[in-house]
Amino acid sequence: MHRLAAYPLKIVERILLIVVTLVFVFPFLWMMLTAFKTLPEVFRFPPTFLPEIWDFSNFMKAWESGPFLRFVFNSFIVAVGVLILQFLTAVPAAYAFARYRFPGRNLLFGITLIALMIPPQVIFLPIYVQMSGWGLVNTLWSLILPYGASAFGIFLLRQSFMQVPDEVIEAARLDQASEWKIMWKIMVPIAKPVLVTFGLFSFIYHWNDYFWPLIMTNSDAVRTLPMGIAMLKASEGGKIWNVIMAGNVILVFPILIIFFFAQRHIIRAFIYQSK
Amino acid sequence: MKKWKSYFLVLSLSVTAIFTGCSNQEVPSAAEGKQPAAEQEGPVEIDFWYALGGHNGEVLEGLVKKFNDSQDEVEVKAAYQGDYYENHSKVLAAVAAGNQPDVTMVEIGVIAAFADAKVLADLAPYTQGDEEKYIPGLMKNSYWNDKLVAVPFNRSTPLLYLNREMLEKAGLDPKGPKTWEELQQYSKALTKQEGGKTVTYGFSTPIDIWFYEALVFQSGGNILSEDGKSLAINSPEGKAPLEFWNGMIKEGIMKAPPGEKYNAWDVAKQDFINEQVGMIFTSTGDLKGLKDNAKFNVGAAFLPANKDYGVPTGGANLVMLAKSSEEEKKAAWKFMKWITETEQTIPWSLETGYMPVTQEAVDSDEMKAADPNFRVALDQLQYAKPRPMVPGYKELQEVIMTEIQRNVLGQATPDEALSAAAEKAQKLLKK
Repeated sequence: MHRLAAYPLKIVERILLIVVTLVFVFPFLWMMLTAFKTLPEVFRFPPTFLPEIWDFSNFMKAWESGPFLRFVFNSFIVAVGVLILQFLTAVPAAYAFARYRFPGRNLLFGITLIALMIPPQVIFLPIYVQMSGWGLVNTLWSLILPYGASAFGIFLLRQSFMQVPDEVIEAARLDQASEWKIMWKIMVPIAKPVLVTFGLFSFIYHWNDYFWPLIMTNSDAVRTLPMGIAMLKASEGGKIWNVIMAGNVILVFPILIIFFFAQRHIIRAFIYQSK
Repeated sequence: MKKWKSYFLVLSLSVTAIFTGCSNQEVPSAAEGKQPAAEQEGPVEIDFWYALGGHNGEVLEGLVKKFNDSQDEVEVKAAYQGDYYENHSKVLAAVAAGNQPDVTMVEIGVIAAFADAKVLADLAPYTQGDEEKYIPGLMKNSYWNDKLVAVPFNRSTPLLYLNREMLEKAGLDPKGPKTWEELQQYSKALTKQEGGKTVTYGFSTPIDIWFYEALVFQSGGNILSEDGKSLAINSPEGKAPLEFWNGMIKEGIMKAPPGEKYNAWDVAKQDFINEQVGMIFTSTGDLKGLKDNAKFNVGAAFLPANKDYGVPTGGANLVMLAKSSEEEKKAAWKFMKWITETEQTIPWSLETGYMPVTQEAVDSDEMKAADPNFRVALDQLQYAKPRPMVPGYKELQEVIMTEIQRNVLGQATPDEALSAAAEKAQKLLKK
C-alpha cells in the first residue's frame, strides 16, 4: 500500500526536477548556441535552435578584441588572492565566535552580520578614497584587499564549527593540542564541505564581479575578464550578440570546470546545512 | 536590476561628491602621481575616460592613437569606463578621491548636475571663441550659468525608422508619415493579424524619456517650467503623448517593447530587423547597425509632428575637469579641439552614425555624398530643443520614465501618472 502510493509521487518529483533543471540550464544552453551562430542568424525570426552554420570565429573575435590573456590572468590572481585572504581571516574569526565566550561576542557577531547586508555599492566611495590615499587605485591590490574578510564566510564557518561535538575538542585539549592546532587540524578538516562551498561562492563572485573592477581600475593592465566582455557591448548601434556570448562562454568556462570537480562537496555542504 | 542600482549610485554619488568635493578642494592628491607641472619633461599626459564599448569604442581608440601620433606635446591615455552611467559615477568618485581624469564624456542630460557640483572647468579661456565652429543645434546643452562647460562630441537624435518595402507594399508613401495622424494611419495599414494574433505591428517605440520629451516638444510643450523649478508636463501638452500612445496600443497597432531601459530599445530594434514592426523610433546611432542587419531597404524620417516637429538631442559631450592643473587643461583642450575638428568629425560620424559636430562638416562634400538617411538627422536639428538643464533632472528623468511606463502599462491614468511625477519633481527640483 505504502509503496504503491509512493510510486506516482516519485514520478511527479522527477518531472518537477526536470522542469526546474530546464529552467536553469536553458539560458546557459542558449548562450552556448548563440556563441556559435552567425549574426544574421542571431537576429532571425523565428529563432533557430541549433546553429545552421557553426561559426567558431566568434571566439577568436572576442579573444582578440582586447588583451584577454591579461584579463584572464588578472581575474585568477584576484579571485584566488581574495579567497586565500578570506580563508585566513574567516577561520580564526569563525572559531572564536563559535567556541569562545568573551565579552562583546554577540555584539561583534551582530556587526559582522550587518556587514553581510550592506552591498558594496553603498560603501565603495570611502573605500575608493582610502585606496586612492594609499596609492592603490588602479592596482590589483585595490581589487583584493577590500574583500580580505568575508562576513558570509565567517557566518557559514561559525555555523559548521558550532556543530562539532564538544567531546572532540576536549579530547584534543587533553592530548595537549594547542588552540592553533585544534583550529587548523581538527576544525578545518571537519568543515571541509562548507569551506569548499564558501570557496566556490567567493570565487564565482569575484570572478564575475564587474562593479568593483570598474570602479577601481583605469587601464587594461589591471582589469579583469568581465570588463573585457563589457567592452564588447556597444552603447548604441547594433550589438554583436554572437561575439558577446562567445566572450561569456570564455568567462564561465573555468567556473564550470571548478564546479564539476567540487560538485560532491557542494551537495554535501547543503545537505549538511539543511539538517 | 543592475542598471537600476547604477542609477541609484549616481544619485547618491552626486550628493556625496558635492560634499567631499568641496572639502577636498585644496588637498593635493598625493597618491596618483600628478607631478608639479614645471618639472615635467616630454609630452603632457592627460587621462581621457570614455563610455563607448564595441565598434564605436574601437573607432574612438583609433582617433586617440592618431592624435598621439600626430604630435609630441600631448599624450592622451584613453580608458573605457563602462556605459554613460557607470562612467558618471566613476568620475564623481575619482573627483572626490582626487585622481580624476582630465577629459571625459558626460551624457547631455546630466551636464547640469556635473556643472552644478563644480566638477567642470570653464572652457571659454581655452576655446577663445573656437566654439563658433560647432552646429548651434548641438550647443544647447553646453552652457551652465552662461559658462561654456562642454563641447559636442558623440551626438545623436531620435529618428523614425521605416521599413520602406513594407510601406510600399501597403500602398503607403515610402517617405513615411509626417504627422501624428499619419503615423496612426500608417500603423493601422501595416498591422497584420493572423488567426486573431498580431504578427506585424505598424509601430513600436521604447517608452523612454527621450521619446516622451520629443512628443511633448511636438505638442508645443516643455518638460520644465521656464524657471526650471517645476515640472510642466502635468498639462495638455504633457498628456497628449500618453494619450496618443495609449490610443495606438489599445487599437492594437503599436507595440510597447518590454524590458528595462536599453533592453526595450534592443527589443524594438530586433522586431524591426525581423519585420515584426514596420516603423520604430530609435537613435541616429543605430543607422549603421540597422542597415547592416536588415534585409530590406531601411529609411529614416523626421519624428512626425503634432503641432510642429520637435526632438531632443542625445549622446554625450566632452568636458574638462575643474581639478586638473593649468598645464593639463591646456593639453586637454588641445585634444578636445582636435577630435571635434571637421577633419576628425567627418570620419567619426561616417563610421559610428553619430552626427558630425561642426557646421563645416555638415556642408562638406563628404557628408553630402553620404547616405541620404544621414542627412535626415542633420536637417531635423533645426527643430531640436535642449534637454532640460537643471541638476535635478538626472534623477527626475527616471521618475518621469517610471510614471509614463506605469501609465502605458495601464497601472495609472495619464492624470494620475503625471501628477505623481509632478509631486515627486517638487522635491527634486528644490535642491
